[in-house]
Amino acid sequence: MNQLRRLVLVEWSGLAVAIVIGAAILSMLAPNFLTEFNIYVMLRSFCVALLVGFAQMVTLGVGQMNIAVGALGGLVAIAFGGMMEVYGLPILAAVPVALLIGAAGGLINGLLTVRTGINGFIITLATASAFTGINLGITESIPFYKMPPALVAFGEQRIGAFPYLLIAPVIVAALLGLFFARTVPGRQLLAYGGNAQAAELSGIPRERTIVMAHVLSGLLAAAAAILAVAQLGSAQPSIGSDWLLLSFAAPIIGGAALTGGHVSVLGTLFAVILIALIENGMVLAKVDPYWVQFLLGALILAAVWLNRWRAVRTGTA
Amino acid sequence: MTMLGAFARGTACRSGLVGVALLLGASAAGASDNKIALIPGGPHPYFAPWEQAAADAKKDFGIASVDFKVPTEWKLNLQTELIESLAAQGYNAFGIFPGDAVGINSTVTELKGNNIPAVALAGCAQDPTDMGFCLGTDVYNSAYLGTKELIKAMGGKGNIVHIAGLLVDPNTKLREDAVQKAVDESNGAVKLLQTVADTDAQEAADQKINALLAAQKDQIDGMIATAYIPSVVASKSLRTLGDKRIKFIGIDDDKIVLDAIKDGFVAGTMAQNPYGQGYIGAYVLDLLASGACTVKADAPWVKTPQTAHFIDSGTLVINQANLESYKDDLKKVTAEIQGKFKDTYLTCK
Repeated sequence: MNQLRRLVLVEWSGLAVAIVIGAAILSMLAPNFLTEFNIYVMLRSFCVALLVGFAQMVTLGVGQMNIAVGALGGLVAIAFGGMMEVYGLPILAAVPVALLIGAAGGLINGLLTVRTGINGFIITLATASAFTGINLGITESIPFYKMPPALVAFGEQRIGAFPYLLIAPVIVAALLGLFFARTVPGRQLLAYGGNAQAAELSGIPRERTIVMAHVLSGLLAAAAAILAVAQLGSAQPSIGSDWLLLSFAAPIIGGAALTGGHVSVLGTLFAVILIALIENGMVLAKVDPYWVQFLLGALILAAVWLNRWRAVRTGTA
Repeated sequence: MTMLGAFARGTACRSGLVGVALLLGASAAGASDNKIALIPGGPHPYFAPWEQAAADAKKDFGIASVDFKVPTEWKLNLQTELIESLAAQGYNAFGIFPGDAVGINSTVTELKGNNIPAVALAGCAQDPTDMGFCLGTDVYNSAYLGTKELIKAMGGKGNIVHIAGLLVDPNTKLREDAVQKAVDESNGAVKLLQTVADTDAQEAADQKINALLAAQKDQIDGMIATAYIPSVVASKSLRTLGDKRIKFIGIDDDKIVLDAIKDGFVAGTMAQNPYGQGYIGAYVLDLLASGACTVKADAPWVKTPQTAHFIDSGTLVINQANLESYKDDLKKVTAEIQGKFKDTYLTCK
């Protein structure tokens, strides 16, 4: 009984309940919902989405926003594809360079934010446009198609219902969990997000913390972009164009505070599972396409409400 | 820069229609000083052949300048700002894919007020409009023919799914109606199981199409995609699944789709004629901007739900039989439309 109460007190328990209810309804509505291939399809769409959610989560943690998540992801995706197609770089060399480009993009965001004193929201709004511009300037909106077969295979292969792609987000989630819970920079980041003045008075360097959050965000956006290229089998300039809403929805549904200071790796993970479940369910339940967007919004609101209701009832709100 | 260069070369190769002018027998006899801009709604690989079309039209018809200018995003305000800026720089004729079928009209009226002609290319503006005409794919006919082709590939019976593009695009409804009409004509032998829409972004298409295949792979006998990106994604998904039982008809000639046709994973794709739209559009805009010709009121226009002044730029099915030769077929279609255009649709001095 005590264990059950402890579980209910956990902030993501409402989301977990919503996922269980949703999955139960879907398995009744659509017999194919629980097939191995459908679970694989859901997990596959979950991989990129989770990293995108994490990329926003780390900036939310420090009380900032990164509007350039998708634009930077798109730029990294085409740079990654271009390096392999045009310059013939092997995957193992292209991956670290792509990650470096992401980190460099994040570094630019962070440095501009701290040096100009302008809010990160405005800075990343501007750099998003710049990153997209570079992307379109290089590709003229034509994708890079010739990806190495090993990369394409990595994006498609699976063991049972588990796609190989899942390896990266699982490792990243574990590392991020450790980072925020157990490391000094991780705790400093959240402390600064929770109360910037108090954090500065306790000796936490303002500039370094904000820059670190943006670099981490760029790095995670780059990881998401690399996975997206593997998943799609080509480096599409449109990668990242619809990440922005998801990047905020996942961590916020998962319990992150918009004002900073609190994030939840597991909450974000459950939120992404819930969103993937709802999107998958829409197709399985043959929902009229003109009503899909409405239902998606309504179901997400219902899930957030359920979590809020749980928090109020348990006194953890 | 090397990457940019490689891309420029790639674009030229992909269009594959560089020599169309020779086929048309066009000449640069009457060189003009017009500055023409071809403007898509936003960045999209569909419009890539317009760049080559603009360069060829400039050379073949002796036009001072024909430029392909792309708005940075798919937003009407960015498109109209680009048009106004180009008009201020001296461009005096515009071929436009409307960022919004109705919203573009105020800008077109403004252009007309300054004696700058505009025509709609690839997609139409909604009547009443000051666009000279609309030269594009008859989307209804293309979706109808595509579905007919699909039904033929399925042996005349079975269950199909329609994968459609953006719901905010009014053409999506036309395509849905066309698919339904072809299904109805099968007298119950073919059933439309489901329409999956809003698949015009890579990741959304990947998620939705794979979820669809996961849920109903065994019930689906055929699929038709009526938008560029889901055609590419569905071709890749069928290849990944190794499924040649489900027949699929896509749209446009992306390399992934063509390779899937070659390897037997895709039955065919509906080719559009973006190069022809850009090339013929520039040719006619030059005649209109020079004041030599005006658009004929009583020409044999096709009437569509959007406009009473529509010209079909041609559509054909690409399958294994014509995979190597379809570009020549499109060149012939372009040559035919361009050759007759002046007499059929214009009144010239």
